[in-house]
Order: sequence, then C-alpha cells, then structure tokens
Amino acid sequence: MGRITQYYHATSLEDAFAKAKQLGPVAAYVGGGVELVLRRNPEITTLIDLSHCGLDYIAASREGIEIGSQTTLTTISRSADIRQYAGGSLAWWAGHIAHNNLRDMITVGGVIGRNQPWNDVVPHLVALGAQVRLFDGTERITPLSDYIEAKQPGAIIKGVLLSAGNAGSRGFLWRFTRTQQDISTLHFSALVNCDGKVMTAANLVFAGRPGHAALYPRLSEELVGKSLSHETFARLAEMAPDLVEVGTDLRATGEFRRELVRAAIVNLDEHMTGVAQ
Amino acid sequence: MTISINVNTVERSFDIQPGEVLLDVLRREGYLEVKGSCHSGDCGACTVLLDGRPVASCLILVAKADGHAVTTVRGIGDQAHPHVLQEAFVKNGAVQCGYCVPGAITSAKALLDENPDPTEEEIRLAMDSNYCRCTGYEQQVEAVLDAAAQLRKGDKK
Repeated sequence: MGRITQYYHATSLEDAFAKAKQLGPVAAYVGGGVELVLRRNPEITTLIDLSHCGLDYIAASREGIEIGSQTTLTTISRSADIRQYAGGSLAWWAGHIAHNNLRDMITVGGVIGRNQPWNDVVPHLVALGAQVRLFDGTERITPLSDYIEAKQPGAIIKGVLLSAGNAGSRGFLWRFTRTQQDISTLHFSALVNCDGKVMTAANLVFAGRPGHAALYPRLSEELVGKSLSHETFARLAEMAPDLVEVGTDLRATGEFRRELVRAAIVNLDEHMTGVAQ
Repeated sequence: MTISINVNTVERSFDIQPGEVLLDVLRREGYLEVKGSCHSGDCGACTVLLDGRPVASCLILVAKADGHAVTTVRGIGDQAHPHVLQEAFVKNGAVQCGYCVPGAITSAKALLDENPDPTEEEIRLAMDSNYCRCTGYEQQVEAVLDAAAQLRKGDKK
C-alpha cells in the first residue's frame, strides 16, 4: 500500500462524507481495513477512517435490530439480541466465518461495502431481508439486495437493519467448501417463515455461483403456501438446479455447482423438517 | 504521520507511513517476537492483542491502532517471568519449531481472559486462526486446558 499518502480520522459522518466528496475516487472509507490491505488499489491515496463516527453499536427496538456498520463479526456473534433473531443463524455464522483473529477485525459495513463475490456474510444478510441505512449528506434506507445491485459510490453505510417482522422466522445457511475456512464453491442462505406446518414466506439466496449473492424469488414462491414436507422440498430440489445461474471457474464446473444447488435444498429440507433424508 | 500506541503497557510514539500494517511497524521497532509469515491473515503467526482482542497484525492498518493498546507475546510473559500458558506449552510438548507459538499463546490468552474454563471445542475455535505445522494441535489444546486448570486454582496469574 505504498501509494497511500494520507490517513484521515473522520470525526463524524458529515466530516467523512465531505472529505470523500472533496477527494473523489482517490479516497476510500476504512471499515475493518482487511480488504484494503489484501487487495490494494493503486488509485487510492487517502483512507478515511470511520471508527470515531459512532458506528460501533447494536440497537434493538420495536422495529427490529440495527447493527452499526463498524461492528465486528465477533461483536455480532456475541449479541444476545442477534442470537435470538431468526433462530440465531446470523450470530452463529458471524462467530464461525474466517478466522478468530479476523472476526475481530472484519466489520459488517466493510463486507457490504466491498461485497466481494466470495463473501459469505452478505448473502445471509440478503436472505434475512436486511436493509442498509446510507448517508450521503442525508440518511435513507434501502434494501440490501438493491444496494448491492446498484452500489452508489460515495454513500457511507451507516448501519444494517434487521426487521422485527423476520425475527421469528428460521434462518438457514449452507455452503460447500473444501476446508472450513476456504471460500465457498457455492453458498446458500434462506429465511423461511412458518405458520404451523405451512410456509408463509421465504427468501432463498445463492452466492459463490461464482457470481455475487442473488435472490431467487421464483424458488421462494415455490415454498410459500406449501406444507413443510419432504415432498415440497423434493420438488424444489428438482427445479432449483435449472433456475440458479451457475458458472464455471477454476474452483468448480457449472455442472458440479448445479449438483451443489440440489444438495443445498436437501440440507434445507433436513433443517426445516428436522429429519435427515 | 506520528501515532501513539501503548505497547505492552508502555506508551510509544511511532513515525509511520499511512498505508503500513501493524506487523511491519512492530518488527521495525524491535518487537521481533511478533512473527510474520503469510501476510494475508491466514496463518495467525502475527497475532497480537488489540485492546485485549486477537487480531492479525499483518492485515490491520497501523493507523487504526492509534490511541489503542497492543499486547505482544512478550507482554504476556518473558523468559524471566513466563506466563502459565507459556510454561504449559513447554510442559505439554506444544512447542517444536516454535514459530507459531507467539501467535498461538496470544490467541489462547485472549480466550482465557474471557473464558477461564473453556471446553476443548471452544479452545479449537478460539485458536482456529493459528496454524501449526509441527504439533498437530493436540498438545496445544492440552496445554491450554492445563493452563486454564492452573489459573482456576488461583495460584498463578
């Protein structure tokens, strides 16, 4: 990172945004900083540190939970509120991803801001229906799925919102890797809401296809209104490999990934019905 | 730019480049007990405590540590006054080539500070960032269990 000439400790969101606006594309916000170090961008000359902007918080309210963008994965994994949210899937995942000493560095805003295709946090947040609170002079809230589709340069991610409406749903995450800490050859995250034995809502997300996280509404619709049964998931496992866009790269062929899509649905079946096939 | 870091309870000022990482500055300033290896956050050799939490010093921008406290393995214990963890590593055969040991002990210290009675699974999770190519990890886990038991007895600090 030899070309970095300035490290600026912003004192507020307004201060950070004004500095970034003044400098343009040569400036970058620092979340955890891990990606900035690993994948150096020679065009960046100024780093804007947000750690003094009061963004390290987890706040629960009647509307849901808001996670400040500078909150680390370790802090998320230990939050009593997040452990109770959607079956605790996000808390569990935040406590197991990557390495112990990286989980204390990686921030939720950093992973969303960088949104690398191999990222395993963003897909799960998308499945949970997360929204992001952005700041670009004024605040606004937008669905995370929309934000990662059309990222707006310059906007600061202030926080991530988890709706209280999804708190009682069941979060699920399955990914295929060659080792525990390897990046995903395929990542599958889901959020399913049930009323008794009937599924009333679902979000199904695939990532590592090898593309970025993507919602599959057509697959989600297949579960809504259906009974929580092996037959329902068997139908889904049959159709999903044809609907999920997968590709070939050095890690796996598209054909192999289609088989993983099927395996992901079988795992969701086991999780939701509680019986191994 | 000049930054201040409390290293092993001593306030220090360092002249740094804005893009430097903590590992490079610590080693340049003589903290050679902090080992560099992969430089990509994979191996855990460079682990130090930042405000009591383990971090990969090869990936953390040193400017982020400005105003914070860093503890290296020498801040945990040294040859004259070894920490019970360091003694347990030796006693349990958890040291062979020794290169990973500063990082491993640092991660273990962070765990025991928070959880004085960890299970084997909790130890493995807390040290999942520390690669060791010699011991096969079994002795390291036994060493941490041993140290935790001694610390719980209260006769060592």
